[in-house]
Amino acid sequence: MNLRYMTKELYYQKRRTLISILGLSIGIALLIILNSLSLAYRQAAHVPLKEIGADITVQRSGDVPKELTGPVFPCSAVTIRKEEVEKIEKLPGVRGIGTGLLLWVFDPNRAWIVLGIEKENSIGPSIIRSSVTEGRFLEDGKPEALVEQAYARQFGIKLNDTISVADNKFPVVGFVDASRAAKIAVANVYLPLKEAEDLAASSKELQSVSPYALGDVNLLFIKADQEKITGLASELKGILGDKATVATPDSFLKLLGSLFALSDKFTLAASLIAIIVAVLIAFKTMAGNIAERAREIGVLKAVGWTNRNVVSQLMSESVIQCFMAGILGLLIALVASFGLSFMKVNIPIPWEMSPTPHFLPGGGDQIFKTLRLPVYVSWSLASFAILLSIIIGGLTGGLLGRHISKIKPSEVLRHE
Amino acid sequence: MNKSTILSGTDLSKKYGTLEVVKGVSLTVNAGEFVCLVGKSGCGKTTLLSLLSGLEKPTHGKVTLDGREITSSSEDELALFRRENVGFIFQSFNLIPTLSAWENVALPLFPIKMISEERRRRATELLGKMELGHRIEHLPSALSGGEKQRVAIARALVNNPRIIFADEPTGNLDSSTGEAIMGILNRLHRDEGVAILMVTHEDELAKTANRLIRMKDGEIMS
Repeated sequence: MNLRYMTKELYYQKRRTLISILGLSIGIALLIILNSLSLAYRQAAHVPLKEIGADITVQRSGDVPKELTGPVFPCSAVTIRKEEVEKIEKLPGVRGIGTGLLLWVFDPNRAWIVLGIEKENSIGPSIIRSSVTEGRFLEDGKPEALVEQAYARQFGIKLNDTISVADNKFPVVGFVDASRAAKIAVANVYLPLKEAEDLAASSKELQSVSPYALGDVNLLFIKADQEKITGLASELKGILGDKATVATPDSFLKLLGSLFALSDKFTLAASLIAIIVAVLIAFKTMAGNIAERAREIGVLKAVGWTNRNVVSQLMSESVIQCFMAGILGLLIALVASFGLSFMKVNIPIPWEMSPTPHFLPGGGDQIFKTLRLPVYVSWSLASFAILLSIIIGGLTGGLLGRHISKIKPSEVLRHE
Repeated sequence: MNKSTILSGTDLSKKYGTLEVVKGVSLTVNAGEFVCLVGKSGCGKTTLLSLLSGLEKPTHGKVTLDGREITSSSEDELALFRRENVGFIFQSFNLIPTLSAWENVALPLFPIKMISEERRRRATELLGKMELGHRIEHLPSALSGGEKQRVAIARALVNNPRIIFADEPTGNLDSSTGEAIMGILNRLHRDEGVAILMVTHEDELAKTANRLIRMKDGEIMS
């Protein structure tokens, strides 16, 4: 391989070089963009669960209460027994569990959505600690409440006021900003888990629909090994029965409805098509280029270049062109990814995961988690694309070079 | 083969399908000899030149070049042999359009491990001999026909060959430029002792050679 010859060939045959580079770069850019988009949707699908510190949420649906009086379970979240939680904790792949107890409390003149939360757990709704905007977080063993900021404003609840929930008095020790918190398991009032358990245990209406004992919960938040999430989802169904609702990043991905989100197979197929298009473009343009140079190859062979010399020269030209195409494709993809990262995506949160009575204001509204699509080109994808470009260059140059090097100099040089 | 014989072709035939272009030709070229192969277009002289230079393999017969029987050599062996022992001059110059004059001259040296300065020195020296010292960085597109052919002659000489094969080297040049090129070839053969086998259809040019071989319908007439 002669570097001087290669650079001059690429430099002086600008049009030829540019067409090759542009053609292949489009294929490479397409490959990077498709995969970045797919990855972005995948990461977006993790956000609703990540916000609450979990990889999986588990609920069990049950019957609708006959009468909406006092504390009741939403029909989407009924009892998960303590023994079942302990069994789940032992499943391989489970790294940690957070729990919550979500209640609808219907008092004579007000309805509350109450969430009993653990005092300290990075998994589950107790991460609301970071969303306290005024006052303080709940202290252990004290019957006190946190109230959602907008709800407090609407009903004129002030810090240190005492609220009455199902005839139980709770001093308001802080406000939380729900808009900054997770969209899953949103409530108006947050109580220590123990207090919520007492409310649930003492409710006849609740007990009549879904028997409840102290220590049971109705929301489970699981932190799990990423590669075991799918397997765990089916094991959880096995433990909790058919009525269990298990939400994973994959289930959110399905809710997104985008082609990129719908299936790995689509991205794989589209990537394969992009690669095939890139290879065909590279092959076609290089084949045209090399065919134009048949006479030149004849001269090289006549003056003593061996087949190997010719192949390595053409291969090096092809590799450099494809490498440059890879770099250009990467740059195009980076610009496109930057543009796409301004795109907003609305992830629908199923009503069941943050249930609000339909007859309350906003109760039937669809909740969305809106976020900017986290499109970026990862180092691994960029490296793969560049490596792929080089491989395409090597293969194309090698194959075409081998073919053209078989040319007999006398055949191309005899007819003047 | 005589000790001074550099090239010998024995009973050479070449067939393309049923068409026999060269028919049982035998000839020799001695070291330092200038031999002209003349004949009308299509008589088989270029094909004979290709057979004798190892660019093409004969259907029958054998070629011995500088003491080595080349007919049975592989393509790559022949390429290496040409690189080290043979120079070519073509009617259409066949310069690489993207390479400068000196790079075209150095083309046969590119696959050889050698520092770039040495290649350039050898090419520049030869271009100087061809009175093209001021054109070494020019691309072929910036050179006249005569200059291109002088670059091609320099390229044929860069590996110090013992024999040069020239196929109608003046065919694309006007008469005065053609004469100048012939002058260079004659000087090479006379001063450097390089054997030349030249194909031409112009009798006038052939007169300057030591020996004339006439071809007709694939056979040597005289």
